[in-house]
Amino acid sequence: MSDAAATLTQDRQRLELSALSAPAVIFTVAMIAFPVVYTIWLGFQSFSSTGKQSFAGIANYSKLASDYEFWHGLWITIALYILALVLQLVFGVWLALVLFHAKRLPGIVRSMFISPFMMPPVVAGMMWLVILDPSLGAANYILQSLGLPPSEWLASPTWVIPTVALIDSWQWTPYVALIVLGGLQSLPPSVYEAAQIDGASPFKTFQRITLPLLLPTIVTAAILRSVDLLRFFDIIYITTQGGPGNASNTLNVYGFRVGFEFFNIGYASALMLTLTAIVFGAVLAFNRLRGAVAW
Amino acid sequence: MNARMFAARAALPVVAAVAVGAQAHAADFDWKKFQGKTVTFLANNNPVGLALLTYKADFEKLTGMTLKVDGYQEQQMRQRLVTVMNARSDEVDVFMTLPSREGEQFAAAGWYADLSAMSKNEAAAEYDLAGLSQALLKAGTFNGKLTSMPMNIEGPILYYRTDILKKCGVEKPATIKDLEAAAQKIKACDSTITPFVSRGLKPAVAYTFSNMLHNIGGTYMANGKSNLCSPKGKQTLDTYSRLLREYGPPGVVNYSFQQISALYRGGRAAMSFESSNELRTVMDGGERLKDTGLAPFPAGEAGQVPTAIGWGIAVSAYSRQPEAAWYFVQWATSPEIQKRMALQGIAPPRPAVANDPEYRKWIDAEPVRKEWQAALDVLATKGSSEVGYPIVANPQSREFIGQAVQDLILKQKTVDQACAEADKALDALIAQK
Repeated sequence: MSDAAATLTQDRQRLELSALSAPAVIFTVAMIAFPVVYTIWLGFQSFSSTGKQSFAGIANYSKLASDYEFWHGLWITIALYILALVLQLVFGVWLALVLFHAKRLPGIVRSMFISPFMMPPVVAGMMWLVILDPSLGAANYILQSLGLPPSEWLASPTWVIPTVALIDSWQWTPYVALIVLGGLQSLPPSVYEAAQIDGASPFKTFQRITLPLLLPTIVTAAILRSVDLLRFFDIIYITTQGGPGNASNTLNVYGFRVGFEFFNIGYASALMLTLTAIVFGAVLAFNRLRGAVAW
Repeated sequence: MNARMFAARAALPVVAAVAVGAQAHAADFDWKKFQGKTVTFLANNNPVGLALLTYKADFEKLTGMTLKVDGYQEQQMRQRLVTVMNARSDEVDVFMTLPSREGEQFAAAGWYADLSAMSKNEAAAEYDLAGLSQALLKAGTFNGKLTSMPMNIEGPILYYRTDILKKCGVEKPATIKDLEAAAQKIKACDSTITPFVSRGLKPAVAYTFSNMLHNIGGTYMANGKSNLCSPKGKQTLDTYSRLLREYGPPGVVNYSFQQISALYRGGRAAMSFESSNELRTVMDGGERLKDTGLAPFPAGEAGQVPTAIGWGIAVSAYSRQPEAAWYFVQWATSPEIQKRMALQGIAPPRPAVANDPEYRKWIDAEPVRKEWQAALDVLATKGSSEVGYPIVANPQSREFIGQAVQDLILKQKTVDQACAEADKALDALIAQK
């Protein structure tokens, strides 16, 4: 077969493959594009309390600048994000190290360590709501049994964000640990052998070898958790509904209430698109960081 | 919209006309007219919705129709409804609605079908439209259109522990001042008991707060403006928040009906101000059956003006089969079904059912049920359905009331600051079209 004929055949095969996969590709793109395009369109609409709709131009976006609840929600979202991410990365790496070194740990114990993230967030929220109830919950009972003062947990404007961050960390730290464990298992043994020959202490080995080599994996875990944490909704909705006051009113919770309780779908869309831009920004920043720490 | 006084029981001309029309067509009525059709019902999984759905099979047998039930908790139900209605979808034929909360808004948005015409043309002889609470029918009528049929009557009432009050030497409180004094005595007498509990969760506060505001003699609006900073408004904000701050459970700002009922049923609260609908939940297990007394909320300067509302059942304006949907609405609010629901503890919106011998026998079986019915009678005769601001954006107005109360419970603001901020936000809301 001549080169020209072979190229023709290849082109035909490529065309056939493209034609065969086109419906699936078009369907997938449409499924992703339609909600995004529709939300962008809604962001330029104004909805009255009665649901009457009209074109609003950029009014919804200019309203964001002067909306106290938006800036407050943004601050709460970022505070919760940073606190929960730090907790999950620190304890996730620690848990991964424990699981990595505890070779004799029974399978059931390993399963228990990672079981929280398999629980639906709504169930986790309900469970912690009961445990942390200041009057009836087990948490204060334990504190008081130990002679410690009780806490108001989710009912305290000061403690609600740390408490929510703790609940989320309880649930998702094992997930981070699993990712980091995968990274640990793929590290080259030769560098550890060299460190052992040089007489490096376990802490120095962790500080100078394990942690730097794990950084790309940790950054990957941070990207995955960032997307979830910036869109944080379910546990807050179950436990506090944004309260007390507006102390846990994240952007996502605020957007939900504006859209589904106050029926202002246009402004809610503008809020959610702004949040989407923030999530994209965080992911892009972490992607750059991952490139910088790759080895 | 002014407070709808439930004492106003005079029949509405529109309802009377509908009732006469219905009788004229009753002879031709056929429950099997829409046999084979499927009606979709968006239901609230609250005690009212759950009690109704225990008879689902009876409806299907009677009409030959299929009832497809889409059941959710209250907030999720509204979320689903908003999505469906904004899309003008015919997915939902019938839905549960709270006219006191969303009635103005949904009516203005055109989401309710007008039931007055359907009830005139398609009513069974035994339906007895005029037998439904005229006040509740009026509460579901907007711009002359009957938008929903009442399913029950309910409102917040005071649940109190007779044994604890006796132990602490406290009489059943007759006034709001008595209530506070009783809470103070109970706190001193037994530190393990929460003296008083009511709603503190921001969106839920208005339900109980409104009762106290009306008892004290306050109003939400005056001359088209928010009125929380009026002397009565400030007095209510101060009293309500002080009661919860000083005598409520820790974390009361997250308390709604679930937490309140759990606390009271568990024997951890001496007085609880919660919905009459919670009777069944509170009495579950039987521990509170013999030591609980019930009464309308104690009087203020304006006497007793309890909050009295009712769930309604409406036909969607976008339903493609409104007549078939109306058959379900009619069956669900018929005397027979409402009597059967009443025997499950759902207070009937029909005076005739409330006086039915079988229902009276059920009431007389337990002293606590007698007190419950007596409190409901006060709700039915003296109540107001005004919960939050009487404006289209009523749900949002409840947020600002709740915010002011929470700011005071948490001591984050003074009464003057809290009411001024709420009034400013509420004036802007009132001005919205």
